[in-house]
Amino acid sequence: MAYLYVVEVADFLFLLRQTGMTWGNLSAHLSKLETAGYVTIEKEFLGKKPHTIARLTDQGRNAFEEYRGTMKRVLDNLPAK
Amino acid sequence: MVEDIILKEIQRKVYMTFFQDGLWDIFLGIFILGWGLAILTNATYLPGVIFIGLYFAIWGTKKRLTYSRIGYARFSATSRRRITTRFVILGVAVLLVGVMVAVLWGIGTRPQWLANYFPLIFNGILAAIVCFIAYWARVNRFYLYAVLIFLGAVLHMWMGVRWEFGFIGAGGIIVLIGLGILIIFLRKYPKMVEETPNSE
Repeated sequence: MAYLYVVEVADFLFLLRQTGMTWGNLSAHLSKLETAGYVTIEKEFLGKKPHTIARLTDQGRNAFEEYRGTMKRVLDNLPAK
Repeated sequence: MVEDIILKEIQRKVYMTFFQDGLWDIFLGIFILGWGLAILTNATYLPGVIFIGLYFAIWGTKKRLTYSRIGYARFSATSRRRITTRFVILGVAVLLVGVMVAVLWGIGTRPQWLANYFPLIFNGILAAIVCFIAYWARVNRFYLYAVLIFLGAVLHMWMGVRWEFGFIGAGGIIVLIGLGILIIFLRKYPKMVEETPNSE
């Protein structure tokens, strides 16, 4: 989601390369995010080759920002070493 | 703050993917080579033709070569506007250098100091433009290219090396570095095609 947050739209191959996940793993992740309404998936064909494009929805963007806020609070409240 | 930095790092990582194929290095190298050839052959139109022709060729190659290997991502409208503005500024700067050369060569009575130090000033401006690219794109090897370009003028002024050879040498080295980066990129990222659901 962090990768999709910094761009407007990314294709499956781009996310695969950036995250280092396996094909199946990334596909499962995206499917779950799509079911939750955080991501929209568009499938098309470029010639005869399949091409999948992912985009973060407004709901997904808000959820990610909320997650960031929560993580920030958690990290800020960690006791100093 | 920590997660802001991490997000910026991700953004930078995404941005850097567009420079790791070496194609922009090759573009710059051939452009600089073009300057050398233009001075050598007196073909003043050459850098402009190379710049425009190569620019479109690079985008076409990127589509075929790069995106089929590392995928494609489009930045947000704000980021795209920022990048476009930088490219426009850069284009205008290159154009101004071209106009400056044409005007200075065109007028017969240019000041003596300008005639004496013209190679140094011209290469300095080109090197400064390349430094701006390095700074904006955060691609540190472009600083080295700026030094190479400026070195051409220094060698010409104080060691008697012909001015055009400085461009040809610097351009050649930049093209070679770009080709090296391209070969590493092609080896590291083989061409990939998305799997269809029933392909397993």
